[in-house]
Amino acid sequence: MSVLRELRKLVLGETWVLPLGVAALLAAALVLRVVAPDLWEDLGGLLLLGGVVGLLAVATRLPAKRG
Amino acid sequence: MQWVLTALGATLAAGVEFLEALAIVLAVGASRRWRDALLGTGAAVVACAAIAVIVGPALLAQASGNALRVIVGVLLLLFGLEWLRKGVLRLAGRRARSSSAAEYDETRAELAGDPLPPPGQPDWAARIVAFKGVLLEGIEVVLIVSALAARPGGLGPALAGTALACVLVVGLGAWLRRPLSRLPETELKFGVGVVLTSFGTFFCAEGLGVDWPGGDLALLYVAVVVAGVAALQVASLARPVPKVKA
Repeated sequence: MSVLRELRKLVLGETWVLPLGVAALLAAALVLRVVAPDLWEDLGGLLLLGGVVGLLAVATRLPAKRG
Repeated sequence: MQWVLTALGATLAAGVEFLEALAIVLAVGASRRWRDALLGTGAAVVACAAIAVIVGPALLAQASGNALRVIVGVLLLLFGLEWLRKGVLRLAGRRARSSSAAEYDETRAELAGDPLPPPGQPDWAARIVAFKGVLLEGIEVVLIVSALAARPGGLGPALAGTALACVLVVGLGAWLRRPLSRLPETELKFGVGVVLTSFGTFFCAEGLGVDWPGGDLALLYVAVVVAGVAALQVASLARPVPKVKA
């Protein structure tokens, strides 16, 4: 079981913030792509980059605990 | 540009994982018997190779084109952001620095409680510690390198970078017979986090139909932004070093 726990930690990390944050960013990107396709095509990369660095800022300030 | 960055990412990521695996194998070999340490290591390498043979083609077969880019991007973001989060906390002094030498000492201490079997009998404790250590570090290498190799044109640089890291780390380890304690592992891992996060962001956006300004050069400014924000995080979270009276 400890190996499985290690494997889960290895893929998803030590905190739920990052996998949940990445999922939220992906969902937001998919919505924006449908709602504003032109804006997404031109500025989507920069918006995603903003979301990624924002997620990093949040993740470094929250304690790393998971069940 | 992508060739160089992919090879660099694979070399750095695989290199730091190999360093950790090497520390465990050296600790087992030095405190028990080299034969058992190498048998455990060999079994783990075979297991990792089997996983690589399954994961790589499965990743390529399940998705193609843009879907594959998004899958690869998400995987790299998960790995990269976690490495970067830990790197920021370590450089800010909020978490212990990464050290293969500490891992070496911990592994030796872990095995110290188990009596050494008589000569000629298998030392299962040593074999299992070497196997588990190499397997866990090896799986991380397999996942990261598979993700880097899965995009079109990524296989060559990803494998070249991994092979270079393997030759460098195993060669140095065989020569020195002790962990490489002088390497700035924390800074190296921070760099790997920047590279993987940048690739993850780039591929995810590309897979979702984004037209990056500057094409492939976008990887560079994405990396600069990620590194810059991470460095700002380090600065804002840094704890002052307590002054020691002379």
